[in-house]
Amino acid sequence: MRVLRIALIILLIGPGLGLLFFGPRDTAELPRDRVIVDYWEKWTGNEETQMRSIVNAFNDTVGKEKGIFVRYLSTSSVNQKTLIATAAGVPPDIAGIWDPNVPQFAAMDALEPLDGLAEAHGITAGTYKPVHWKACHYDGKLYALISTPYDVALHYNKSLFAAKSTELRAAGLDPDRPPNTIAELDAYAKVLDTLNPDGSIQVAGYLPLEPGWYATYTPFWFGGSWWDDENKRFTFTDPKVVRSFEWIQSYYRRLGQSAMSEFRSGTGNFDSPQNPFMAETLAMEQQGTFLANYIHNTKPSMDGRWAAAAFPSDDPALTDVTYCTADVLVIPRGAKHVNEAFEFIAYVNRQDVMERLCSMHCKTSPLANVSAKFMNEHANPYIAVFERLAASPNAHGTPPVPILPQVGEELGNFFQRLSSLEITPAEELPLMQARLQKKYDEFIKRQNNRKKPADEMPGQSLEN
Amino acid sequence: MRTQSKELKDFLKGMGFLSPWVIGFVLFTAIPIGLSLYYSFCDYSLLQPPAYIGWANYRELFHDPIFWKTVRNTFLYAIVALPAGMFIALGVAILLNVKMRGQTIYRTIVFLPSLVPAVASAMLWLWLFNAKLGLINLALRKIGISEPPLWLADATWAMPALILMSFWGVGNTVIIYLAGLQDVPKELYEAADLDGAGAFQKVWHVTLPSISPVIFFNLVMGIIGTLQVFGTPYIMTGGGPARSTYFYTMYLYDNAFTYLRMGYASAMAWVQLLVVIALTALAAWTSKHWVHYQGK
Repeated sequence: MRVLRIALIILLIGPGLGLLFFGPRDTAELPRDRVIVDYWEKWTGNEETQMRSIVNAFNDTVGKEKGIFVRYLSTSSVNQKTLIATAAGVPPDIAGIWDPNVPQFAAMDALEPLDGLAEAHGITAGTYKPVHWKACHYDGKLYALISTPYDVALHYNKSLFAAKSTELRAAGLDPDRPPNTIAELDAYAKVLDTLNPDGSIQVAGYLPLEPGWYATYTPFWFGGSWWDDENKRFTFTDPKVVRSFEWIQSYYRRLGQSAMSEFRSGTGNFDSPQNPFMAETLAMEQQGTFLANYIHNTKPSMDGRWAAAAFPSDDPALTDVTYCTADVLVIPRGAKHVNEAFEFIAYVNRQDVMERLCSMHCKTSPLANVSAKFMNEHANPYIAVFERLAASPNAHGTPPVPILPQVGEELGNFFQRLSSLEITPAEELPLMQARLQKKYDEFIKRQNNRKKPADEMPGQSLEN
Repeated sequence: MRTQSKELKDFLKGMGFLSPWVIGFVLFTAIPIGLSLYYSFCDYSLLQPPAYIGWANYRELFHDPIFWKTVRNTFLYAIVALPAGMFIALGVAILLNVKMRGQTIYRTIVFLPSLVPAVASAMLWLWLFNAKLGLINLALRKIGISEPPLWLADATWAMPALILMSFWGVGNTVIIYLAGLQDVPKELYEAADLDGAGAFQKVWHVTLPSISPVIFFNLVMGIIGTLQVFGTPYIMTGGGPARSTYFYTMYLYDNAFTYLRMGYASAMAWVQLLVVIALTALAAWTSKHWVHYQGK
């Protein structure tokens, strides 16, 4: 009995001691004489490796000189985890989130304002392209700086255009150039469509919801926007917004909801060879600067057979319209090493470092000044198009709405019902506008109730 | 005196062994449950201290169309998937209880899907339900249905698809039924044989009453499980198309972790708990009419 008892105790304690002495260890050797800055970032794979090289370069140079060591931690759902860690009082020193998160985080007091630090490091409005500088602000304060940005353009398959050159010419269209207006895009798409005898789609000219990542921002190409930032009102009933969503639905009416859904369910992940643009079953696609990298890595045989151009607008006078978005670096509220964290952010925003990172990620630079080396050596052969678009006065960022997750959910539901022809934009958008405006007003009211009167939220002061 | 001291020693020893669970339960279950009740009466974003707002969250819930949509979806799923799943599981268990060659192999085959991780099953079924390339539509086309459903891409068919998929995991329930079936006294079947009962009558008058406690257990577990469905639709449909598979727990999760409305999410959690308790109590109350325990 005694032996059994001892054996049991050893069995219970043994593994614990074993883990303690021989268990997993932190692999990174952290220098004891430096301030450790924890940096949570969303990236994994190649993008992580590339950002790590920037972190290592900082640690070996500026970090060494200033006694700072940045510790990179790849974190999934980084935005949610950052918020929860901030609420718990143990945030990272730097978090790599997305610029659409900035209004929500800033409105909820989850971020440190960076105006003073940025100014002290010489980072001002003139440093950035206007669209990106604006995206880093909420309610007039700077809350983020960019790590890598991109903008969207029309990508088209030159081989598919050439294969239908006779038909395109017969329709009065030039197969050697992309469409310049929405009307032209529709005309090109019709000619480029190849349907099977049963009506199913073999090759689609263009599909507004493939991949549909930027469908929410379609009004920009129609000269409209669903958010009036000056008056803090949703403007979904603006005729230009309505028209833009009617245009999306017109594709479902023309090709048939069933054929569209079936075609889309046969496509694979964005980064797989089943991506319809890379599978060459989709002739034109609205996508970001980074697509060049994926084409080159996933389907190198397509290199040189595609091109990028400004996505066409409804009004021919409206040129170089684009939607810009970015990965941003923020310092969560309550971070322990704010100044040291900003040293790293400022390092990333140095022109040479920024251009190196953006080149590796195959993205544009957010900076106003771009070197010839960046333009000449970039992996995207159409980088000049993307840089021109990002610098254009018609470049738009994400509307600074603090309830963007709710807007996204509503719009996701709207697009699904739109594509099933269950609703029309004209009947649904007024209802959606009313619902979202109510949610926004309630959010502002709650935030104002949570804050002192002097810190009231922008736009309005609602009675309790 | 010595006995008392030994009893105390044994008690302390017992408490010592129990303490890891007690501490864990208090810290990670009891306190959070209590706090969530308090938060359900607060406006709480996590980032600012909770502010007491009385019944406002509960009042808002009842005027929230998405809340009602998720309630409808969840009940629809539960009303169809739970009885159908229990019926299928019982039928399969009765078949697997018949003595035949390869019985253990069949039992293993039925149980195996329950061992597949939820995410892996979801990915597998995503492909099976694929409108263009899926095996299900391939089979439907082979038997002459030229325009089979779009399944997860169609708001009408997404819910039936998830219900169909839920039957894939009946293996666990089957095993519990099998254990119950093996406890049915053989004498009852012999007596039924002597009375001239047919196969259906034996199932109706002998098997079902004998395993009624097991059916009751599966019913209660099923009510709790189906009203909390989350993982599979979260992975497979994200609640779409057009919120047709947006379940209660998914909306609760979105409120808590996407919109950071912890107070509102806590109110939802308490409504859910009360509904589960009410339905379980209803099942327990009706059980006295249809659940038969041996020896009673």
